[in-house]
Amino acid sequence: MTGANKEYKILLIEDDEIMLKVTERILLKEGFKVIVAQNGKEALQKVEEKDYDMVITDLMMPYANGFEIISKIKGDSYGANIPIIIVSSLGNEDSIMEGFRLGVDDFLKKPIMAGELLIRVKRLLARKL
Amino acid sequence: MLLLEAFFAPFFRRYFYYFDSYPLVIQIAIFLTVVAIVSTVIAYASILYRRYRGSRHDKKIARINPLLDEILTESIILNDDLAEGKPVEEIPLPLEKFDRPRFKTPFARQAIIERLIHYRKNFSGDIGLLLRKLYIELGLEKESFGKLKSFKWDRKVKSLIELTAMDMSIADVNILPLTNSKNRELRAEARHAYIKLSKNEPFKFFDVVSEPLLMWDQLELFKIITTTKDISIPNFARWVTYSSNKSVVAFCLKLIVHYNQQEAVPSIIKLLDNKDHYLRSNAINALGKLKADEAEDKLVQIYSSQPLDCQLEILKAIGRMGTGKNLTFLRQEFLRSSDFDIRKNAAKSIISHKQHSEEMLGELLDTATAENKLILKHCMNPLIKY
Repeated sequence: MTGANKEYKILLIEDDEIMLKVTERILLKEGFKVIVAQNGKEALQKVEEKDYDMVITDLMMPYANGFEIISKIKGDSYGANIPIIIVSSLGNEDSIMEGFRLGVDDFLKKPIMAGELLIRVKRLLARKL
Repeated sequence: MLLLEAFFAPFFRRYFYYFDSYPLVIQIAIFLTVVAIVSTVIAYASILYRRYRGSRHDKKIARINPLLDEILTESIILNDDLAEGKPVEEIPLPLEKFDRPRFKTPFARQAIIERLIHYRKNFSGDIGLLLRKLYIELGLEKESFGKLKSFKWDRKVKSLIELTAMDMSIADVNILPLTNSKNRELRAEARHAYIKLSKNEPFKFFDVVSEPLLMWDQLELFKIITTTKDISIPNFARWVTYSSNKSVVAFCLKLIVHYNQQEAVPSIIKLLDNKDHYLRSNAINALGKLKADEAEDKLVQIYSSQPLDCQLEILKAIGRMGTGKNLTFLRQEFLRSSDFDIRKNAAKSIISHKQHSEEMLGELLDTATAENKLILKHCMNPLIKY
């Protein structure tokens, strides 16, 4: 599985430096290629490059929040079928509903389990095939 | 010292000579000016000192955190044994990596605690358990428990936050008195910690609450109770029946409604005979929200002997129950009363009966006075709530 994962590029958007580094390391260890963005502005630039197979995003970030980024991705023909996972400490009904309304595929509330994140990532990527 | 006195004495003597010769108003003005200048200087000096201390703290944190991140990421988050599914208790921890002089200062140990908490906020499951194991094996829980004994309330709060985040159990004898503290922050944090950490009876502090639970306390507690995972929710009827603190009873009524504890209805009905109208109105409100229609007849029966707040709650409760049994009573109150609130709530309850009250509503709209028609039309707006 690790070898096969090398083909997938995951855009990881997270403003918490630790969470970003650790999640990046977890994904790299599984063989995924990871593109990171540490705020909304950087994320929007990376989204423009259209070079990713999946997006994992936080919601509360400086410059642009997660919902704005998701709308941008889903509003584009390239991003329309890209799986998106929200990883956020916002776990209220409104945020979850808004996320799914915009077309996200999964929602993980912090604190997360590393193993659970990996299973969800792999399952969504397998479904994409 | 003598030299100083010899130098300054003539200086002050000269100025005091002038000061004494001024009129009283000028003397007061000079005095106030001096006080203002000295206070400003002290305030600026204190701000500068705090900023200096803050920036020194930030610099030290910036130096130590990358080292901690490196160790924690390598040894805990990406632990190979963990990835292989080995039980957390059997995974050896790299305690030797922390056996360095720079990690032994109180500052560094506090930084480690804060970093571990930060990681635990982001990662749960086995990673969270391994972080907790590290916290214990490094003996950091002793630092947290030590702060709990401090005389300063902010250190106690810090300790409670740390122990709660690390899921450490605290003896009742240490925490229960804090749930009654006069300091609001400490009280709230102690209650939070008690609910989260007490495995068997997370609501035991309801038994020892001596002061009234303020509205703000109730809001905070409600948030803590309804958002804390894995707590056993008791039957709150226990406090409705036995608590002598009426704010606890009122708060438990809200929790009964939130958790839809139908088994508590008989205890709430007994509250209708309580002498305190505040408790009665809360009980009636809860009965309505629980749609406890077995209490409907009793509510109508006691209506005429109740004060206004209870009467309004009875009208709302009948509307919420919506059985249709007491529509005539609602109609009578709507037409009879001269009180605007009574008429408004009776109208809203008639309308909330939907198909049961269609005919009555039509008749009232045809025959009511202009003012009553206005009330009815206002209440028919679905955006208008009780």
